[in-house]
Amino acid sequence: MKHLFKYFFLGIFALVTISSCVENIDSDQFDDLELTPTLEGGLLYIEASEQLINLVTDNTVFSNTFNFDAFNSDVFAERVIEGTVTFVVENTTSKELDITVEFLDDSGAVLDTEAFTIQPAPTSILQREIVYGPTGRSIDIITNLSSIRVSAINLGDTTSTSSAPEPMITLKSGGKFTVRVK
Amino acid sequence: MHGQNKQLLYDFTDIPQSLMVNPAADVDFKWYGGILGLSGISLQAGSSGVSAYDLLADDGLNINDKVRDRLLNGMTISDELSGNSQVEILNSGWRRKHPDYFYSLGVYNESDAIGYWFKDYAILAFDGNADSFRRFNLGHLKTRGSIVNVYHFGVKKRVNDKLLIGGRAKIYSGILDFNSTRNKGFLQNTEGQNNVISTTLDADLEMRTSGLNVLRDADSEDIGSVFTKRALFGGDLGLGLDLGFTKYFNDQTVLTASMLDLGFIYHSSDTKNWTLKGKATSEGVEIILPGALADPDADFYQQLIDDIEALAPFEENFKNYITFRPTKLNASLRHNFGKQIQVGEDCDCGPYASQSKRAPRFANAVGAQIYAINRPRGPQTALTAFYLRRFGNVAALKATYTVDKFSATNIGLGLNLQAGPINLYFMADNLLSYRNLYNSRYASFQLGLNIISWGKK
Repeated sequence: MKHLFKYFFLGIFALVTISSCVENIDSDQFDDLELTPTLEGGLLYIEASEQLINLVTDNTVFSNTFNFDAFNSDVFAERVIEGTVTFVVENTTSKELDITVEFLDDSGAVLDTEAFTIQPAPTSILQREIVYGPTGRSIDIITNLSSIRVSAINLGDTTSTSSAPEPMITLKSGGKFTVRVK
Repeated sequence: MHGQNKQLLYDFTDIPQSLMVNPAADVDFKWYGGILGLSGISLQAGSSGVSAYDLLADDGLNINDKVRDRLLNGMTISDELSGNSQVEILNSGWRRKHPDYFYSLGVYNESDAIGYWFKDYAILAFDGNADSFRRFNLGHLKTRGSIVNVYHFGVKKRVNDKLLIGGRAKIYSGILDFNSTRNKGFLQNTEGQNNVISTTLDADLEMRTSGLNVLRDADSEDIGSVFTKRALFGGDLGLGLDLGFTKYFNDQTVLTASMLDLGFIYHSSDTKNWTLKGKATSEGVEIILPGALADPDADFYQQLIDDIEALAPFEENFKNYITFRPTKLNASLRHNFGKQIQVGEDCDCGPYASQSKRAPRFANAVGAQIYAINRPRGPQTALTAFYLRRFGNVAALKATYTVDKFSATNIGLGLNLQAGPINLYFMADNLLSYRNLYNSRYASFQLGLNIISWGKK
């Protein structure tokens, strides 16, 4: 019995000693690890009621520039790879309208322009996705974006009113951008 | 944390350090003294989810696919990465004239850290939040860690020939602490009310630290003195208690139990905390005409940023705080058998000494142990079966088989050698994983060197 225990422990020691080893690992693989999440959020929402449109005698309903510094910060601009900006224009007024969205840099220069001509209600929703990056327009447009100018031109009259409840023109926009974290 | 389970040392009463895991361990020394800095060293590390080999094996697979399969899709928020180390600086014990009392005191340094798998944060970092209305749970961030010096004094009393009780008072001198364990909230995209997408952040996050800044800001020459100062009661202070008992039902059947580190540390020096608390929903910059044009200088983007920061502010504070030590429970049921062994040399304190109440020692013992520790995600337990074999007074071996969240094949082995007064022990577990160390999800070892005396006849 005494020998049995000795051999038992010697056996475990031998097993461990003989079998202790390491198999090859390649720690350089870590360099190939890519963290490139795609982040999505709302960008800009503008609405103007038909009442406002009818009050403006000039056919330019509005043309305003809005500060938008979300993308030109270093933390984003140095890491963004590609992205998509989605515009949804909806018109429930009785007028045909021209909507123009311009991306401006910090000197006011126009980097990109997107124009929409939208019919009166009820056939009045336009959706457009603009791709930036290797398969689309230059990503520099996004990284240099400092402000957004939105203009609306009334192509119809200033007297009629849509029968829709709270008739208005709206511009919705959202962005999806892929950034390289590692 | 499994990393603090010392199933090989527990109830291994041939080793003085068994008193550190049960203050009522039935050691039979007259006195012992640990060799300065070498009396007790233990290192343990574990990962319950994946091993280094799972991710970095030279197997031709793409690392990104492996991370997705084995981390993002393979691990749960209960999986953890943890580590623990203890280094005894001083440890000694002695029996006074009254043989029923045994005293011990010492100092050790303990470092430990645990981080649970922050699954939703990882998905957010890997995939982002696009094209998904997933609710990212911000509570998945749970981590804590500390470096602390522990000054302790223990007393063991033999109540009668069947029962020993023990207690150990501890003073903690906190050197470094960080913890972020009570986080709540979510980040979620939904369909917007006005715009195409609405993003909601509902956060109650907090990271508390103590000692981090003074150590980070110290020059490389000063860091040692800063560390030493905080280790010598110059940092955070706390109190703790260990309790234990050993109950002999007869000479061969023994029940033991201990509760360790029932205590707290009050962090009042060099604290720095960060919070993100509040709820904010954004659909982007919103402009409602004509009202929005009332102020021609209005900066709607900045107003949006200001609103979000006001609703969910990221703030810094320097408030003191309390942390509770991770309390551990150990218990064992042991059956002794085989030849009885006369302990020590020239001994008058063992079972064969005159008027001794001590139970005899046997060459063999088998039994079972249970271990539990209070962790941020609730108690964690481990079950151990063990066999102890003594070879006279010169050597003893303890083999264990442990089942826990890290492994169901954890076989450990502890060796205690006694050469005259010199005591040396070495322990390691999860030995089967040594076939490929990189594939091991858990590894630990303990070693120590002591001088032991059983007294003169």
